[in-house]
Amino acid sequence: MALTKLVRFLLSTVTFFSLWLLALNEAIPVPEAVAEFLPALPLWIIVSFGAYSLGSIGWSLVTFGDCEEAHRELMKEVAQARDELRRNKITIDDE
Amino acid sequence: MSFLGSTASAPAGGDKYSVLLPTYNERHNLPVIIWMLVKTFTEHNINYEIIIIDDNSPDGTLDIAKQLQVLYGADRIVLRPRAGKLGLGTAYVHGIENATGNFVIIMDADMSHHPKFIPEFIKLQKAQNLDIVTGTRYTGSGGVHGWDLRRKLTSRVANYIASTLLQPGVSDLTGSFRLYKKPVLAKLISAVISKGYVFQMEMMVRARQFGFSIGEVPITFVDRVYGESKMGADEIAQYLLGLFKLFALT
Repeated sequence: MALTKLVRFLLSTVTFFSLWLLALNEAIPVPEAVAEFLPALPLWIIVSFGAYSLGSIGWSLVTFGDCEEAHRELMKEVAQARDELRRNKITIDDE
Repeated sequence: MSFLGSTASAPAGGDKYSVLLPTYNERHNLPVIIWMLVKTFTEHNINYEIIIIDDNSPDGTLDIAKQLQVLYGADRIVLRPRAGKLGLGTAYVHGIENATGNFVIIMDADMSHHPKFIPEFIKLQKAQNLDIVTGTRYTGSGGVHGWDLRRKLTSRVANYIASTLLQPGVSDLTGSFRLYKKPVLAKLISAVISKGYVFQMEMMVRARQFGFSIGEVPITFVDRVYGESKMGADEIAQYLLGLFKLFALT
């Protein structure tokens, strides 16, 4: 049975935190430059993810496709359809 | 020029497309959408049937459907009415039961989905032998008319959360303008447990799980009913709950 997304997420999170704690307590060897940054890593990940999310949503909002033309064309077609249908005795009443 | 659904010669390959059209109080839209569908199918020489699943609309939608059946023929317009408003999933099950096509198209009856995209769906499906083709409002030349900034923002945030959690591989998760191979649709419906918006999302998630191939075609979505259907806090809560259920269960 495949793991659910929630379970996979929890497993990854637990694994990450275990490794992080081990590295913080120097149970795992870590290069000097990384060791300084290590305590801030989880917070950095969360903030980066937040910033990325905001950026992504903002961008997708700005580039949201509008389709004015489609609306105009549709209105014309609707009028044509209603005329033809009325001629063929379909009940077309107004809204 | 009029398109009264003449019995055109069968297209090569013998494919037939059954359109499932659940309706509730669509007395004004139904004739127009049928006219547009018939026009598109006839122009492109596509073999089709349109299955109208009316949930006992109080505005007399079924009577209009019967008139259309007389006009276009009972082989083209099939009526599968139900006793009451019973939900989308069961509407599809009910509609698909006697569908004679080997492909099924699902769409909305309020003209937000334009039939002109159907030949594009079919073309993509044939080119790659896809199990599913879904319309997307969010990529390429896709777009929406009739939404204000607030609605667009809601839609983007909702889609972002859903995509992040579910990694679905499609850009428009809640879209409901899709082409399926009939057995694929039948299998998915039997596997899906959610309702409402989440139903369409779960279809895509399950489709990925089962390994079905999915293609996307950008569509334009003209929303004429926005303003009548409010997006309240209740709906948002239900959406998030449904989303989380999918995250936890698939």
